[in-house]
Amino acid sequence: MVHRILCVDPDEDVREETVDKLRSELADQDLRFETAGSLASAEAELTTDTAAVITEYELPDGTGFDLVGAAETACPDAGCILYTDTDPDTIDTTELRGSITEYVGKDSIFGTERLSQLLATTVETRIQATYPVPQNETERLAALRSYDLDNPDLLTSLDRITDLAADHFDVDRASINIINEHSQDFLACYGDAQDWESMDREDSICTFTILEDDEVMAVEDVTEDPRFETRSETLLGMGIRAYMGANLITSTGLVIGPLCVYDDDRREFSAADEAYLRDLADVAMDLIELHSRLDGVAGDTGGTQ
Amino acid sequence: MTAETDGGYEFADGIPINPIDQGTIVLVAGPALSRAEGVARTLVADGSDAGEGMLYISTNMTAEKLLNACQQTRPSFDDTRMGVIDCSGQDAAQSTLGERVKYVSTQSDLTGIGMKFSALYEGLYGTVKNGRVRTGLISLSSLSMYVDLRALFQFAQTVSGRIDSAGGLGVLAIDPTTHDTKAVNTLSQVADGRIEVRESESGTGDGELRVRGLPDQPSGWQPFTLSE
Repeated sequence: MVHRILCVDPDEDVREETVDKLRSELADQDLRFETAGSLASAEAELTTDTAAVITEYELPDGTGFDLVGAAETACPDAGCILYTDTDPDTIDTTELRGSITEYVGKDSIFGTERLSQLLATTVETRIQATYPVPQNETERLAALRSYDLDNPDLLTSLDRITDLAADHFDVDRASINIINEHSQDFLACYGDAQDWESMDREDSICTFTILEDDEVMAVEDVTEDPRFETRSETLLGMGIRAYMGANLITSTGLVIGPLCVYDDDRREFSAADEAYLRDLADVAMDLIELHSRLDGVAGDTGGTQ
Repeated sequence: MTAETDGGYEFADGIPINPIDQGTIVLVAGPALSRAEGVARTLVADGSDAGEGMLYISTNMTAEKLLNACQQTRPSFDDTRMGVIDCSGQDAAQSTLGERVKYVSTQSDLTGIGMKFSALYEGLYGTVKNGRVRTGLISLSSLSMYVDLRALFQFAQTVSGRIDSAGGLGVLAIDPTTHDTKAVNTLSQVADGRIEVRESESGTGDGELRVRGLPDQPSGWQPFTLSE
């Protein structure tokens, strides 16, 4: 997996030297470095899959904190590291408050070695994310990528499953979601959920569902759940007050995302409700794996003709 | 620069916990009366005898009170390798620790706490044997009164990542009775294991503790004493 790293320093020589050292100290990692000398040019380089931002504090047209603020919007999962000559005691941190930024002094006796250690940990474990990441995330993402999830026949079948779920639970919205590296994407949708577009993973409820040991997660009221209360305004706007998601688990035990139903009223879900949704999720996963096997067989047959 | 793999972090005789591997993060969980915060403080202060660095993020106690508490339980406590981020918000009186105390005026300033923690860690790391530093965050429950769960999770995970990548020991104190179970479960994701603390049922020692999720540890509730 390639990780995009943005390195920002007004001094071109220092910038290039830092990148050269990181490249050599982290030669075993698949890193792609981009560089910038100003806030404006750095902001232009930010993309959703930027994994880390390393920046000086003093920039000609702003500060490193301005860039951290921009990164929060453009790439919320990215780790930010202030690599600077500026003494941390002299930096006013109150403007950022909620944001977390790592600090490494350029005068550190360890030079860039400490920076590279920290960068490696940051990109490998996504330590500055605002949500927990499954321990088997790399394998989970590899499993997700192994399926052809664009197959129209498969998508039609999955749509039927969301129809069944919505009908059973008498709700206006149901969907099958997949949890990608940085986003939640909708594979099949029922009702108003058809208008939904891909969302940042940090805003998704399902990114917590995939961590559940017992495969199903229910939320009676998002406004009262400490994990979602700060995002509840957006969720209520989507018609989501209550939620239940059941994980789609591959035959190798990895979770690619959940099947979900949403209610715009507060709602409790029973054990029987959870069992029913779990069964539907199992059927959905069986369908995905079956289509994958069929594609494989078709490919083999094609090859022998 | 990588710390030599010369064994785990050790604790005094009164603490029934076997050495804990470098790069481990533990949650010390117990209600206010259980002395869980005292256990968390002691797990870090026990680095004194081993020549290790000891770094506290202190939310309730000023640096001076914290130093006194460490000296009370460990009379031979050596504060020359101790650092404190004092975010108690109380009067920032001159501490005997001098440069090794950094003040953050409000607990909602997680950016400030995190950056000063990083700077102090860096300083201690370079001066102690094999870069061995123990960190105590006392407590997560106090911080949670100032910031929302997601920000607190992000902060705890970032601090833990730094400790892990530097081969340190991280001790995070939490009072589970003041949080929603979902919040405790979410915060638990940053830790490798948990030390549960409760008041003593038999009346012996300062309380009882139980280690969960860490290898090669005693099973069941064990009495502990904080003072040497």
